[in-house]
Amino acid sequence: MSKFTAFLDKKVSGPMARLAEQRHLLAIRDGVISALPFIIVGSFFLIIAFPPLPESWSIAQWAAEHAGEILIPYRMTMFIMSLYIAFGIGYNLAQSYKVDPLSGAQIAVASLLLTITPTALDELGFVLPMQYLGGNGLFVTIIVSIISVEIFRICKQRNITIKLPEQVPASVGRSFEALIPVSIVILLMTLITVVLGISLHEIVQNLVAPLVKAGDSLLGVLIPVFLITFFWSFGIHGVSIVGTVARPLWEVYFANNGEAAASGEALPHIAPEPLYQWFIWIGGSGATLGLVIVMLIFAKSDYLKKVGRAAAAPSIFNINEPVIFGVPIVLNPLLIIPFILTPLITATISYMATSIGFVSATFVKPPWTLPAPIGAYLATGGDWRAIILVFINMTISAFIYLPFFKIYDRKMLLMEEGEGETKVEAS
Amino acid sequence: MRVLFVCSGGMSSAIVVNALKSEAEKNGVHLTVKAIGSSEVAFELESPWDVVMVAPQIRHRFDKIKKEADEKNVPCGAIPPQAYTPLGGPVLFETLQKLVN
Repeated sequence: MSKFTAFLDKKVSGPMARLAEQRHLLAIRDGVISALPFIIVGSFFLIIAFPPLPESWSIAQWAAEHAGEILIPYRMTMFIMSLYIAFGIGYNLAQSYKVDPLSGAQIAVASLLLTITPTALDELGFVLPMQYLGGNGLFVTIIVSIISVEIFRICKQRNITIKLPEQVPASVGRSFEALIPVSIVILLMTLITVVLGISLHEIVQNLVAPLVKAGDSLLGVLIPVFLITFFWSFGIHGVSIVGTVARPLWEVYFANNGEAAASGEALPHIAPEPLYQWFIWIGGSGATLGLVIVMLIFAKSDYLKKVGRAAAAPSIFNINEPVIFGVPIVLNPLLIIPFILTPLITATISYMATSIGFVSATFVKPPWTLPAPIGAYLATGGDWRAIILVFINMTISAFIYLPFFKIYDRKMLLMEEGEGETKVEAS
Repeated sequence: MRVLFVCSGGMSSAIVVNALKSEAEKNGVHLTVKAIGSSEVAFELESPWDVVMVAPQIRHRFDKIKKEADEKNVPCGAIPPQAYTPLGGPVLFETLQKLVN
């Protein structure tokens, strides 16, 4: 390792990686991730409701007539993702403090629900507005989930709880132990929302508005793209670190796009996570599928031929650790250059293509291990031009990697030939 | 021998698992290897495992995972970066043997 890379690893990437391991950030990350299956499955009902088929087809007509009903599973999952996320954050944060996770999850849900106000409708009884249970409520969800679990665990750790005699069954005892913290949380949230009439959602939305706007700009896309490959250059899982901070924003964009798609409006955001996943990280962070193609076609050294073959199949499914550690790209200055450069360029192209309307923005979340053309097609709700963009980006990636790869391959070949000679001499 | 392989999401390690297994078979050792994500470690360690191996890309989480393994008296070590590929079988097996002995 050169002095410079050693310095970067020790002073920059190392500390940043440890920062992402901070307790609350981890709880947010795991909480959001725990809701992903519901978000993924829910988002697919958006494609079913608006199938990418000619309008004259009878299936398309049937879907158009029944869109409201088809979207009900979406409305009960992705549309109210914050409810699931509150549960996940509460559970994970409580678990990290080694206090009862189920109580933590329930307290977080209660505090989120107490930020909105039910209304009585004559024919329906009480009705809960869902507007702030989706992406719009995500930031408040994060804040109140953390505060309420903090109250819970402080009460627990300082023994501010009602203790029952030992003869009482454990499950009964546990529910009594949560009584005091639950009262504190509920009184606090009631005070804010009902007594003072404050809408936390409106306040927080105004506060984060500049951030939401910035993350959806070209620079807001390029910064995480750069940081992710920067971390990987030292062999640290970039997405798991950068995503910890950026994922809440990505989910807000994704939720808002989904809501717009469900109500037939123009999609407001360019940069939900599927933009990164399907157009930028083709083959994995660093858009390494291009490198694998180059390796398969041009490799002359035995070693890189072998790596290319071994890495090909995983790369199609966007798993590129075999490339990153096999080639390797880690701490290899020659290949780190295209590894960082390529996704910056494909990100710029994809961002532009989306903003001028060459491809639809994304509002569906296919599982990340699908091959990129299929994933991109589904993520855009069935826009065939997305497939073209994927192939354009793959080609660009291959051409950027090519010259750097050739130099590296020649170096490997010389080393292999050198080894052969020494072996001959030795025998 | 029962080996727990930990990476970020349990995907990439699944690829490396086969490299380790076939190298072990060559040496006449039968392995049960399970690839998991780092958030599943605590849960998995409730079952008996002989050794935990941690992928290089989550080395910033290594100390935490090691602590959890230490609590259960299961040896735990990092996988060397150059071994974390489908071609890394020999180094993986060597690392495993050092950990167990």
